[in-house]
Amino acid sequence: MTDTMQPKQNKTGISRRSLLKTGAAAVGFAAGSGVITGFPTIWAQSNITLRQFGTGVSNLNAIADKCKADLGITLEMTATDSDAAAQRAVTQPDSYDIADIEYWICKKVFPTGVLQPMDVSKLKYYDELVPLFKTGKLTPDSVIAQGTAPHTVGYVEAQDSKTFAKAPTNWFTMVPTIYNADTLGIRPDLVGRDITTWADIMDPAFKGKTAILNIPSIGIMDAAMIMEAMGNIKYADKGNMTKDEIDKTIDFLIKAKQGGQFRAFWKSFDESVNLMASGEVVIQSMWSPAVAAVRSKGIPCRFQPLKEGYRSWGGGLGLAAHLKGAELDAAYEYINWYTSGWVGGYLNRQGYYSANMVSAKKFMTEDEWGYWIEGKPAKGEIKAPDGTVMEKAGAVRDGGSFEERMGKVACWNSVMDEDRYMVKRWNEFIAA
Amino acid sequence: MTVALERPTIAASPTGRRRRFSLGAVTPYLQSAPLALILGAFLLLPIIMIVVVSFWDYDFAAMYPDFLTTNYSDVLGSWVTWKTYLNTIKFAAIVWALTLFIGFWVAYFLAFHIRTTAMQMVLFLVCTVPFLTSNIIRMISWIPVLGRNGLINSTLVHMGLVPKPIEWLLYSEFAVVLAMVHLYTLFMVTPIFNTLMRIDRSLVEAARDAGASGWQVLWNVIIPLAKPGMAIGTIFVVTLVMADFSTVQVMSGGQSASVALMMKNQMSLLQYPAAAANAVVLLVLVLLMVAGILRIVDIRREL
Amino acid sequence: MSHEKRTLEFYVLAAFFALFVLFLYGPLSAILILSFQGETGGLTFPLNGVSLHWFANLFERQSVGDFGGSFKRSLVLGLMVMIVTVVVSLLAGLAFRRKFRGATALFYLAVASLVVPSIIISLGIGVVFQQVGLRPAWYTSAFGAHLTWTLPFGVLIMFAVFNRFSPAYEEAARDLGATSWQTFVHVVLPMIAPSLIGVGLFGFTLSYDEFARTLMTSGTFNTLPLEIYGMTTNVTTPVLYALGTVTTVFSFLVILATLGAILYVGRRRARA
Repeated sequence: MTDTMQPKQNKTGISRRSLLKTGAAAVGFAAGSGVITGFPTIWAQSNITLRQFGTGVSNLNAIADKCKADLGITLEMTATDSDAAAQRAVTQPDSYDIADIEYWICKKVFPTGVLQPMDVSKLKYYDELVPLFKTGKLTPDSVIAQGTAPHTVGYVEAQDSKTFAKAPTNWFTMVPTIYNADTLGIRPDLVGRDITTWADIMDPAFKGKTAILNIPSIGIMDAAMIMEAMGNIKYADKGNMTKDEIDKTIDFLIKAKQGGQFRAFWKSFDESVNLMASGEVVIQSMWSPAVAAVRSKGIPCRFQPLKEGYRSWGGGLGLAAHLKGAELDAAYEYINWYTSGWVGGYLNRQGYYSANMVSAKKFMTEDEWGYWIEGKPAKGEIKAPDGTVMEKAGAVRDGGSFEERMGKVACWNSVMDEDRYMVKRWNEFIAA
Repeated sequence: MTVALERPTIAASPTGRRRRFSLGAVTPYLQSAPLALILGAFLLLPIIMIVVVSFWDYDFAAMYPDFLTTNYSDVLGSWVTWKTYLNTIKFAAIVWALTLFIGFWVAYFLAFHIRTTAMQMVLFLVCTVPFLTSNIIRMISWIPVLGRNGLINSTLVHMGLVPKPIEWLLYSEFAVVLAMVHLYTLFMVTPIFNTLMRIDRSLVEAARDAGASGWQVLWNVIIPLAKPGMAIGTIFVVTLVMADFSTVQVMSGGQSASVALMMKNQMSLLQYPAAAANAVVLLVLVLLMVAGILRIVDIRREL
Repeated sequence: MSHEKRTLEFYVLAAFFALFVLFLYGPLSAILILSFQGETGGLTFPLNGVSLHWFANLFERQSVGDFGGSFKRSLVLGLMVMIVTVVVSLLAGLAFRRKFRGATALFYLAVASLVVPSIIISLGIGVVFQQVGLRPAWYTSAFGAHLTWTLPFGVLIMFAVFNRFSPAYEEAARDLGATSWQTFVHVVLPMIAPSLIGVGLFGFTLSYDEFARTLMTSGTFNTLPLEIYGMTTNVTTPVLYALGTVTTVFSFLVILATLGAILYVGRRRARA
């Protein structure tokens, strides 16, 4: 939040941390000279600690455990909801070293100066990262999706710059880690017909049995997908609507709400699972792992690909502005480790996508890779990272392969230039 | 009150008189200093900060120190604000009436019909136990209770009382009010119970001896004496409901608005000056409401 | 003790009270039942079998979040808040027995502290800490935020207590030659002890369950309510209900133990 709210170099935490820094720097220097390949567990002796926060989606204890084992870096993870994550990023920059946030909110968080851009040349796996995060294109001939596509907020002009660069530079705002394409989740046993388009959520047959997201900037995207699918409007950019488009979209939502079309609006992962599992809702905007969670309870649920395509989101790790010296080195080390494959495999096996597919593949079995990424029928049982069986042999992932899914992204979660007006109207929608 | 009574004691010990007296004059300041300091640091300062920020300018990415009134004209000039405030006040009024009714009778039962102190304490604690279970967990558990396939609906359907599940039990204004009454009744019971316990029983006896009916005793003796407790309970409940966002959001399924929720939506997109202006308006309104209550019942004197 | 006959009023009110208790425990019953959910079951009905799986799971490492750490923080914070609330409101209560400059202002400040919406306090404290350059943490900023919530309760209760407190006892003690400290410890304190316990319990409960005030003040680590909320951003399991059941049972035990202790002390005192 501009000058006044920039992180002050903290004076309080000096004693412990600076001691650690000197210690770690010495060790780092000693070890750095000799080790070239693999991940040196040099941090083990320095007891270096990195504090990371973000939503429970990716702030998994398993990652912290593995990081400790591989690098010796203690990762203190704090899970919050997505609203709180944004607040914490901006208002308490001293409280974290690594911010795990989504790209759409990065558009607002990064310019406040709480994060420092990272030097691409220090990122070991930069070249292997999916081009989606560099150019916005999955393959050279794909069309860039609407909205706050990660690459548009992925780079800044220079190390001390807060302006996003139009093309890739040497300064990365965040290293992409996790992303996915969302669509409608349905209860095939209760909808009783084929669902092919976002517009189906407005079918009077499902009156009082539908839900969309309740995070304003994402909920309006759901609405935009529906509006366009119904042929009500053609947006120039769904992710950056004009006032007039916002008005039309919100008016539409208000009408649908007053008509009793929605049962509820969900805000957290868990809410969406409960809504579906309890039968409160039969068709709703949903995440792939949430669908898997419903299914793992023995309740039929499908992640339904739709002809208009997906609404996509991506998250990444950002470095806190206050990091320097040995801690900064440790943070780079951690990020390089993060993209080196183990985490990628772990995230892929949960139904999300890793930003480094090349390395993730090495940490997945052929069958897992086939099922999760290539869209092939499972040869054996597909297990979740914790060992529970998610799918039986022969199952095919809804929506198909990685390319089929991420290649059909219609828009990314966004913050609009008119976000002030949007929130105003969104509050109106909730009040209506 | 006590001051007047203490003076003679001090005068009675002439030796320590001067020292005691000066110490006595400083004592209340020392005693109230911790409270004043804590409230100053964690209440006044933050509120001043909020008020300052509410005049700032902001754009897409940043806020700028300034003195603008646009945040206020935005807040006050939009019908959404008014509608949301009306909705919140409506919730406050309904919840207040319900909790006052339930709270009074529960407290009355505990104070006048339970004869041993131990039993009173046990029953009172029985009422408090549910509050130790995290509110968020309790909130999640409303779905399996009130939902389509929840305990209540499946019981009703099973008994053949309703042909199909009742939809409005959950994700409705009814659900919001129900959850709030559930959460906040205790805040009404406690102060009323407290005042009822301190009513001199001989007053009740005297009224009865004078030929007053049970109803008359209740209406003319007990209720007037219970007013301070009701006033405090009212302050608790009204302010809690006015500032609530999680209950409204979860129980209405995100379909009902409240002032705090409106602020949260602004904060979620880091529009702090707008949220701050909203906060100041809410604060002023709540303070006015409380001042009104305090005008009717002077809790300082009657407590 | 009076032995008048139970009136109709008693039975009507007893029924009303029973209904109220039933209403309070309604959602808890769902928590209780669903905490025995089978291993593959979810947070809602139907039950997928019956098991103790989730109780065991409560003590295992979760995929997201950390029950142990956040519980410890909430417990310590609750105790800190409890102690400070009791001491500060007792002192303030004593102070308000006499007239002093600013008494009215302080009283209304305490009332204001009660009525300021919690999300505003949370935002304000978070921003102030950032501006001053202090690092927010659950034991500093969140601690202060909780106090703004528990102190007014404590002060109001102490206010009520001392308003009705007859100074005659103190005078008697003083006449017998007790110093003011002795008077306080041996006369005043025992008489207001039940209220102090009440203030303490209130303080602990309010702090332990506080969410909005902690939201923007907790710093790096979460308290239990925040942690639970954070956990709902991933797959949550009936382990939450197991936590609810265990908390409820545990609070019952604590309350029973306290009651037992009070009765025991009371009986011994009566005998002495």
